[in-house]
Amino acid sequence: MNSMTGDLLETVVKIAFVIGLNLGFFAPMLGWVERKQSAVMQDRIGANRAGVFGFTFIGLLHSAADAIKLIFKEDFIPRGADRMMHTLAPVIAVVPALAAFAVIPFGGKFELAGHNVNLVIADLDVGLLFVFAIASIATYGAVIAGWASNNNWSMLGGLRSAAQMFSYEVTMGLTIIGLVMYYQSLSLVVIAEKQVDFWHWGIIYQWPAFILFLTCAIAENKRIPFDVPEAESELVAGYFTEYSGMKFIMFWTAEFIEVVTISALCVTMFFGAYHLPFISPDMLVSIFGGGDFGAIVAMLIGIGVFVAKICALIFLQMAIRWTLPRFRYDQVMALGWKIILPASLIWIFLTGLAILLGLMPTV
Amino acid sequence: MSALLFYILAIGSVSCALLMILSKKAVNSAVALVGVMLCLAGLFAMQNAHLIAALQVLVYAGAIMVLVLFVIMLLNLREKGGLLTGRQPFIQVGAVVLLNGLLAPLVSDYVMAPTTGIALTDPATFGTVKGVGTMLFTEYLLPFEIASILLLAALVGAVVLTKNKKNSEG
Amino acid sequence: MAIKIKKIEKGDGLTLWEKSYLPEIIRGLGITLSHFATNMKSLVDEFALGKGRDSRTIMTLYYPEEQPVIPPAYRGRPVLVSDKNGVEKCVACGLCEAACPPACIHILGGERDNGDRFPRSYVLDGSRCIFCGLCEEACPKEAIVMSDEWRNLCQYDRTKMIYEKETLLRSEAQVQKRLDFIRSNSFSRDRY
Repeated sequence: MNSMTGDLLETVVKIAFVIGLNLGFFAPMLGWVERKQSAVMQDRIGANRAGVFGFTFIGLLHSAADAIKLIFKEDFIPRGADRMMHTLAPVIAVVPALAAFAVIPFGGKFELAGHNVNLVIADLDVGLLFVFAIASIATYGAVIAGWASNNNWSMLGGLRSAAQMFSYEVTMGLTIIGLVMYYQSLSLVVIAEKQVDFWHWGIIYQWPAFILFLTCAIAENKRIPFDVPEAESELVAGYFTEYSGMKFIMFWTAEFIEVVTISALCVTMFFGAYHLPFISPDMLVSIFGGGDFGAIVAMLIGIGVFVAKICALIFLQMAIRWTLPRFRYDQVMALGWKIILPASLIWIFLTGLAILLGLMPTV
Repeated sequence: MSALLFYILAIGSVSCALLMILSKKAVNSAVALVGVMLCLAGLFAMQNAHLIAALQVLVYAGAIMVLVLFVIMLLNLREKGGLLTGRQPFIQVGAVVLLNGLLAPLVSDYVMAPTTGIALTDPATFGTVKGVGTMLFTEYLLPFEIASILLLAALVGAVVLTKNKKNSEG
Repeated sequence: MAIKIKKIEKGDGLTLWEKSYLPEIIRGLGITLSHFATNMKSLVDEFALGKGRDSRTIMTLYYPEEQPVIPPAYRGRPVLVSDKNGVEKCVACGLCEAACPPACIHILGGERDNGDRFPRSYVLDGSRCIFCGLCEEACPKEAIVMSDEWRNLCQYDRTKMIYEKETLLRSEAQVQKRLDFIRSNSFSRDRY
């Protein structure tokens, strides 16, 4: 096997893993988590009726039941709607959500049978910018969906999502400049590698950036408390009012995958990526006897740690989603432009000052 | 491989551009323009200019076109006749071609001329954030600052235009 | 004279600490997450450790599998109480009939050989009953009480909701909880 086909095979395997993890594990699981976690938080039981021969698996089968129901549902396009755009919009919503994962490292670098395996699909020098660029494309899903539905509620939802997502994109980019200054790199692979040492985890020096970034990211994902584009008490369902069946699933999936993406980004930038605290991957390899076996075990541990951290952050996001009420639309915009944007600028200044004065040694 | 990719992107960008001009609906045109931007970003990335590619998507395809769409939706533009009807557009297109023809030698002389100092073709730093950043803040500091002042002026202008005069007096 | 307009500054009543929002978000998260923690613990206790129903902190019932416990104060279908011999206590005095606001009770009195009065027929129209419990309060013999029966009160056919004496008869043991309740202080104190 020459190295060209080896690289190709490696890339294909990595892409299959990431897509499988997202669409096969996280997307259906999040449907369950959202129902059950909210129920337990609100002293309820939650969905528990879907079952096969009496086995309900704590309501896990509801995701499958939902999927089966929506697949067989009529795919309805309202009269007067732009058929092509109406079909295109959910695709535009899902693809960027998945594509952002291309630059997120999920396990570190290992040498396996003389072949260097880097557990990231694309090791880009501008990784973070790529994520933001992709996130900015995701706006079109909501906007075009709102426009193409020929429905006033959808239109309003689309308008709101355009303004909201655009505003928070700008702010989101600024919130992590401090972190980029701290790590001196835009590459997520480099940022992840620099967090081998527990005391270099982003959260320790850059916790204000984490709070600001998480707020912006949730707003960018249009989830409660920032779900004004789909506010069901005002706009029926906002930009996807006129969507049913598989297209509706795609919007749903896009939202859930974005939750995962946000969690993965936060883990990579602030919570030590795939590293265990105080234990480097090299130590793991040597603990498990080195060689290929050690590398594989360390790799699996790295992936496991990464997924576990993602799950923890998903839990946090879900908790926020089920704790806070929805903002008013003007409050959302005011928060973005008048509070978070100046706050992130102040944080950039403070970080710069601290680095200049040597209070925050760059890594 | 790269030639194939180039042709795919080139044909994509040209056809998206044509779609943009010929489309009757304003939103379809805007989406086609996004397609052009994405293909251009791909072409930039093929030239190893990853930063420019990312910025192209982030700023043009992401931010500016969203605003364009926003305005189109806000004004709720309905179908109009194709843009290529009547005589006027031909004059406009002709004017643009002529202007480009006049400006092209000037621009190419100024921009494409080999610069001194940091080598433009240094493969190690070319297209990276560090390379572009260093370049921007040393070699091209003056244009950079001028551009930023221009943007600032636009910003102030926007604020002045949108400010409600009655409220500010009372 | 121009009318003086008095401007009233109506604040939102929040302190600066609350306006800064973040601490309040964290407090809210604390509340919801503490509920999450206690509920999770109780669910683990109940299903994984097998400590049973009582350890559950979530009030929701798994309905058809779990039945609600009906408190004695609940007013379900009015039923006639029988004595030890299985004969109704009712003496057909007609007080319940008189007390009934929607007039859903129809009694036809009669006399036994030993001179005791008894209802020859006792018809309770369930489709008219408003479950007010006045019949129970009016009854001098504790012969009619509000039971905890709540199933099949509604029917698709009105004729099925007209209960005869035989279908309403319950033994004392069946309604013992209600009898204890109406004899207790809390019942009478609430009324008069």
